[in-house]
Amino acid sequence: MALLNISEPGQSPRRKQDSKHALGIDLGTTNSLVASASEGGPFIISDSKESALLPSVVAYSNDENILVGQAALKSNEHISSVKRLMGRGAGDIKHELSYTLVESESSGMPLIETPVGLKSPVEVSAEILKVLAARGAKHFEKEVGNEEEQKEIEGVVITVPAYFDEAQRQATKDAARIADLNVLRLLSEPTAAAVAYGLDKKLEGNVIIFDLGGGTFDVSLMHLEKGVFEVLATGGDTALGGDDFDRTIMQWIKTESKIEIKQNHLAELSTCARNAKHDLSETDAVEVNFADWSGELDIGKYYQFIDPLIDRTIKACRRVLRDASMSIEDITDVVMVGGSTRSPRVQEKVQDFFKQPLLNELDPDQVVALGAAIQADILVGNKYDSDLLLLDVNPLSLGIETMGSLVEKIIPRNTTIPVSRAQEFTTFKDGQTVMSLHVLQGERELVEDCRSLAKFELRGIPPMVAGAAVIRVSFQVDADGLLSVEAEEQSSGVKSSIVVKPSFGLEEKEIESVIRASHSEAEHDRDLRRLKENEVEALRIIEATDSALAQDAELLDADELKAIQEGLISLQESLKSADADLIQQQSEALNELSVTFAARRMDSQIKSAFKGKKLEEVDR
Amino acid sequence: MSINSKNYFEIFSLQENFDLDLDRISAEYKNLQSQYHPDKYSDADDATRLHALQSSSIINDAFNTLKSPLRRAGYLLIINGVDPEENNQNHLTEDFLLQQMSWRDILDDATQDENLNTIELLKQEVVEEHQNCIIEFQDFANAFNFMEAKPIYNKLQFVEKMLDEINRSEEKILDY
Repeated sequence: MALLNISEPGQSPRRKQDSKHALGIDLGTTNSLVASASEGGPFIISDSKESALLPSVVAYSNDENILVGQAALKSNEHISSVKRLMGRGAGDIKHELSYTLVESESSGMPLIETPVGLKSPVEVSAEILKVLAARGAKHFEKEVGNEEEQKEIEGVVITVPAYFDEAQRQATKDAARIADLNVLRLLSEPTAAAVAYGLDKKLEGNVIIFDLGGGTFDVSLMHLEKGVFEVLATGGDTALGGDDFDRTIMQWIKTESKIEIKQNHLAELSTCARNAKHDLSETDAVEVNFADWSGELDIGKYYQFIDPLIDRTIKACRRVLRDASMSIEDITDVVMVGGSTRSPRVQEKVQDFFKQPLLNELDPDQVVALGAAIQADILVGNKYDSDLLLLDVNPLSLGIETMGSLVEKIIPRNTTIPVSRAQEFTTFKDGQTVMSLHVLQGERELVEDCRSLAKFELRGIPPMVAGAAVIRVSFQVDADGLLSVEAEEQSSGVKSSIVVKPSFGLEEKEIESVIRASHSEAEHDRDLRRLKENEVEALRIIEATDSALAQDAELLDADELKAIQEGLISLQESLKSADADLIQQQSEALNELSVTFAARRMDSQIKSAFKGKKLEEVDR
Repeated sequence: MSINSKNYFEIFSLQENFDLDLDRISAEYKNLQSQYHPDKYSDADDATRLHALQSSSIINDAFNTLKSPLRRAGYLLIINGVDPEENNQNHLTEDFLLQQMSWRDILDDATQDENLNTIELLKQEVVEEHQNCIIEFQDFANAFNFMEAKPIYNKLQFVEKMLDEINRSEEKILDY
């Protein structure tokens, strides 16, 4: 029977030359990693010196040379922990930095002073991403050997803290664009870790992922069952990590030594503190030497410093349990992720709270990148393990400002994404034709206590008495956790929509100008590149449409078929024009025509897959 | 038929009933997501990816609606032609309104005194009322009497709001 031959996706034998190159990237506060996956499982890609970790440090110098990683650490003026600045306003940055920030007048974004001018945190992150991608490319080059078969990196999965808000996620995605990477998905770090652990250790049940990195803390409660990884609740703090442990020691050195510390000594002081922290994981007391001062720090005192910080992580764990309506007894495993979970004190406190031994067999620095690599391999179409399904949530509530500076929640936190939800609002003045919408993220009730994401206006509302207009505001959060908002007046159909570009983000034209600058190409080259890209895209669409018609033309009625065929011909014609705009326009037109067709094809394929399954079951 | 044109009960292949088997819809939910989730179509064309995003969002909303007794009740009213929000306070009895006020007073005092025992007792009482509302709603819904079911739904709205407030007070006192 033909139907029995419908194999589940992924069961079909995989040919090596078909596999595409994909990377999983853990863009960390202190260290970053890159990984890939093959039939043998996921693996970390090291640099030429066999080092897996790339310090997330960038140094710009006058000769236009950009150093990243170990090399940058040696520079006096390096930029570290830039992840903490992503998607933040200059006013949000409270901690001391070893470099100088300038507030951007246009966006309020903090810009970093460098010898080659002001750089945004997004651009600095892009430099780290470029180096990681180059590591990946080099690995694939070696693996394939044969130059003719070299393929480009198709896409990357970049991990972000689960508790990253909209602005921080968007900033991360912008950095990837500047680094010329195709982002397949932004994946929550604890979810990525759960994938690596879950597959390696065959975990099932209610699992806590406790992820304490250099600068961010996440805790997720997940339910793992038969390849489905479902986030039930998540919590955390995007400004809490091992860096803060260091900072307590730095403060202690400052107070004890009474040395006045200038900004250019901060990097040295921070190294000194970090070394002391590491030593205190092994011994009960350390001698700390800074400049010509020396002093002893014992473990009792150190724990006094860090206990309040660790207690904040425990509080987040309690919150997550409550959000999921679970108690400690319901938890089957506690997985420790992130370099800072090496701290014996952290382990002790987490173990005491959950009353069970912790899982930390896999390298806590590497699991996130490994999980991301598995997801990247699946998303790029290699189907490493196609039964895998990740169901993530939005970490913070999304809402809209209403009368009295209150926030009306539209999508509550811990809602599984993707999600779309709509709410109806009305005008409050007679004859009101414009309505301003203010989109916010956060848990508090007052606008001033939440993070402002975007403001936009719906214009052209037909004049009516107050309260008569019905304005439907729809929120759509995609699988990356990114939001788009649409407002429509129901009686007139007047519409306004935006993809949320959060405050403190880069404007579209700024991103493009950075990309252009980095490609350092003349206008002519740029136009050529755009034409080339549009042509490739058009060919892709033509090929996809042709093959869809060959397989499923019977799903269309005569008129629909004719419209798509005509769209195809127009697009093919436009390709002869060498006009980038025309090609783009025709591509979009054909895409638009294909929406219903695509939906029907998907549904019919799913239906036949179900049929195939049922028959197999009968056969058994 | 496409997900977009089905109602939430149809998506889960269920009868339009208030009473349902939560374990079964949980299993069916995962089954549906593994067919429609955007991750399964990441290398497809734009139109297919858009359809996957919309379908997967609808499945999530359908699951959340069916899981919650209040949302499920409201949804049943809508698909049976009753607007759940119309005059939503008119049907509440005076007794119920007085009870509401007394609950609120108890909660305010107990929150002020950080008296968790009183809050716990109040919570039990409200949960019981919640249960009663659900049973009442179910009876009317089973008899397809949605006009009579509507005031029960409005009552349930108040009871859930009360429960939310109790939980928030508890969280405040316990420092969550």
